[in-house]
Amino acid sequence: MLKIIQTAILLVLLTTGGCGEPPATTNSAPAKIYRHALDGAPGSLDPAQAASLYANFLVVNLYDTLYRYKYLARPYKLQPNLATAMPEVSDDGLQLTIRIKQGVYFNDDPAFKNGLGRELKAEDFVYSIKRHFDPGTRAQGAWLWQRRIKGLDQWKTEGSEYDREVPGLRAVDDYTIQITLTRPFPQFVHTLTQGYAAIVAREAVEKYGQELSNHPVGSGPFQLDSRNSIRAVLTKNPHFRAEPFRLEDEGYDPATQGDAGFEALQDKIPPFVDRLELEFITEDAARWNAFSANELHFMKVPVSQFDTVLSQRRPLTLSPQFAGAYHFEASPEAGFIYTNFNMADDRIGYNPDPERNRRNRALRCAMVKAFNWKKRNEIFFYGIGEVFPGIIPPAVPEYDPRGDKTYIQRNLQAAIELLQANGWNAKNLPVLDYGFPNSVTERQIFEQFRNFMVEMGYPAKKIRPMIFATYGDYHRAYSQGKVTLINSSWTMDYPDAENVMQLYYGPNGAPGSNSSNYNNPEYNQLYESSSAMGESPQRTRIYRQMNQLLMDDCTSITGISRTLLFLWDRKVIMKPDRSFVGGYFMRFVDLVESPVEP
Amino acid sequence: MTKLPFIARRLAHGIPLLLGVTFISFVLMVYFGPDKTYELLGKNPDLEQISEVRHALGYDRPFLVRYGDYLKELITLDLGLSDSTGEAVASIITRTLPVSVSLVLPGFIIGNMAGLALAMLSAWYRGRWLDKLIMSASVVGMSVSFLVIIIGLQILLCTPYGLNLFPVRGWQVHDLSSYFYYVTVPTLAILMVTLGYNTRFYRAVMVEELERDHIRTLRAFGTSPPELLFRHVLKNSLIPILTRIMFSVPFVLVSGSLLLESYFGIPGIGLVTFNAITSGDQPILKAVIGLTGVLFVLALMINDMLYNVVDPRVKRQ
Repeated sequence: MLKIIQTAILLVLLTTGGCGEPPATTNSAPAKIYRHALDGAPGSLDPAQAASLYANFLVVNLYDTLYRYKYLARPYKLQPNLATAMPEVSDDGLQLTIRIKQGVYFNDDPAFKNGLGRELKAEDFVYSIKRHFDPGTRAQGAWLWQRRIKGLDQWKTEGSEYDREVPGLRAVDDYTIQITLTRPFPQFVHTLTQGYAAIVAREAVEKYGQELSNHPVGSGPFQLDSRNSIRAVLTKNPHFRAEPFRLEDEGYDPATQGDAGFEALQDKIPPFVDRLELEFITEDAARWNAFSANELHFMKVPVSQFDTVLSQRRPLTLSPQFAGAYHFEASPEAGFIYTNFNMADDRIGYNPDPERNRRNRALRCAMVKAFNWKKRNEIFFYGIGEVFPGIIPPAVPEYDPRGDKTYIQRNLQAAIELLQANGWNAKNLPVLDYGFPNSVTERQIFEQFRNFMVEMGYPAKKIRPMIFATYGDYHRAYSQGKVTLINSSWTMDYPDAENVMQLYYGPNGAPGSNSSNYNNPEYNQLYESSSAMGESPQRTRIYRQMNQLLMDDCTSITGISRTLLFLWDRKVIMKPDRSFVGGYFMRFVDLVESPVEP
Repeated sequence: MTKLPFIARRLAHGIPLLLGVTFISFVLMVYFGPDKTYELLGKNPDLEQISEVRHALGYDRPFLVRYGDYLKELITLDLGLSDSTGEAVASIITRTLPVSVSLVLPGFIIGNMAGLALAMLSAWYRGRWLDKLIMSASVVGMSVSFLVIIIGLQILLCTPYGLNLFPVRGWQVHDLSSYFYYVTVPTLAILMVTLGYNTRFYRAVMVEELERDHIRTLRAFGTSPPELLFRHVLKNSLIPILTRIMFSVPFVLVSGSLLLESYFGIPGIGLVTFNAITSGDQPILKAVIGLTGVLFVLALMINDMLYNVVDPRVKRQ
């Protein structure tokens, strides 16, 4: 018996003897490899289907867009990417002329004649946008341009024939694009930074069809080397246009960014690394272990590890053991979390009976008062989320830091009195269905919500959980009006408050983005009157007025913006970003031999 | 040649099984599975866009037409494209299946072999301290969560907090050395979880066999323990052992191990299947269900053939 055990141990040692060493790499291995963890995996890599943050991370690196955001500037500022300059806009704001760079080529691919990538031309942009209006593409970005570009919706209804010209979307010549809008749309250029607006080659689409999602043929700084369910490997595009990195063009601020090593990048040609390895790790523990084992250069710290990483919350301070080894950034989320009341549900929303309508409003306001944001923040966001009243989050300039905070302060006594004053009691309070996709955290969030309401006197059995297998099923249910309390979040698509104000615009009601089905004529009128305005003091006043209307109507229990913590290796020079189309920063990531000291 | 009619008969018997499995699964998928429509819509959809996506997914077609197409896809092996990534399902399966097999196989083989060895020891020393030790360890192994084992082993063997000998994640296997580098920790995790179950099951089978009259007679004749255990007890216990092993093969091949693949970052079919279930990616689900059904039919057939080999009475019948 002893001999058998000895032999077994020997076998194990023999077979795993070399296991302390990583597998040998070949001589041709790239010199600079940047490893980045994402907490989710992308689906399709077809720009027309780049709906998720994760897909955008890859798409904006594989393809070109006309515009992007300045790498280092905060607040975000637009910057030409494939375009030569910002658009020339006509006096009425309806016509935009955009010139694109010459000599930009798609990557070599069998889709092209002789397998050689051809020059990217204005017509390719026109084709790429048209694809969103072709039902055969299964595109997800049409909402950005729907009813905005002259003739584009009509082009779709008339059969989506690509050879037919759209009056409002034309290639004037090989390098000039002319866009005619149906009405002024100041956010239009922001939409051209999205992965959705990335430029594809018609030949590639025709060759690969739906499988374009796995055969990206772009002109971006990187090319896809391999991809599976757990990782994607991108290699540097050797033919990417040589445009030197200039600190002054990227919004560099020496006062706040002087110690991050960016000066070393001046005049270098991006992309700076030879290879990007994006690891898709959904499990917090696995992500943390991989980062701890130095298998990753960057990670978004999971909330479960905040205690390990931080020594104090205000101001956020890194523990000494991490401060020496990593760069650290706390980044406010460009979006927020809220719980909408379904205003189309007459049990709690709009009711044809004016008296009940009034009482419903009082009920909603009582629930808002009973909600404890402090506890929500403490339990689920480590107490470092930004709670704010209404829907204008701290990430946008329209946010009013000195605004009235009573909407987010718990006042249980006032809530109870409001219920009583309006004739609500445990017997006549309506049954409410609180929806959420199946997960432990979502269930905990529901239980906490219900507990807040129970403390106000709402019977627990009258707030029922409605659990859905996937977010898609949940989305379907609330779009069909089956959910009374809709717990959800909104990630902003571009850094302009219009993107959140449209969330409560009546015509955007379900199945549109206005999941609350809020439909206040005054709000709608203000939204319409401000839709042609860019960021300005006048628009800020209007937006704050709209925000107040929402709070007065107690449409939503809102809101909180999460604070995201990023850690990255000191040998990496970068400013990470997860907002909007954050993946752009990867072309500017660089690795150095010695750690960058603060 | 005499085996051909037998194989043909068993395969023919498998057809109703396959039809049943695929039909029930398809009903569950269509009527109770996740609806992919809303995940493929843009942020501000209208009713027209919703119906376009439903049409593209084939949701608006009659159930029986869809089921007929499913069977046709299985027969022609034209499994379509994933609704999530657009990749050909056949390509996904051929890419991920070998990974899952090579991930789970060492643990599966060692787990069963070690389980048998420990079960024999335990059964032979029934009621004594060694038996109690093995059984207690088995219960402990069965009681600890797989997740805890995975995270514990990762910390212990793969991070600077422990020995830091192996990678936390990845599967860049290009030779035997790299294979052992990536497979060792997952294999240890499999062993820690499965060994207890295997040992207890095999022990129960062997204890029953050890109590038979002919074994007592052999012991009375002074047959040596190894000969008794390997030649008489193990051989006569092979029917339930083979059944257990053969019926776990389809699961090992197709489902891989979701948790292992997920936590160790291994691109196998388990993770792909799990993602397909949770996201409602029907083309992948349909293929995996079909594949599992076929593997079960094959497992049944091989199982019957092995019965013939290990038990002459089955052959006579």
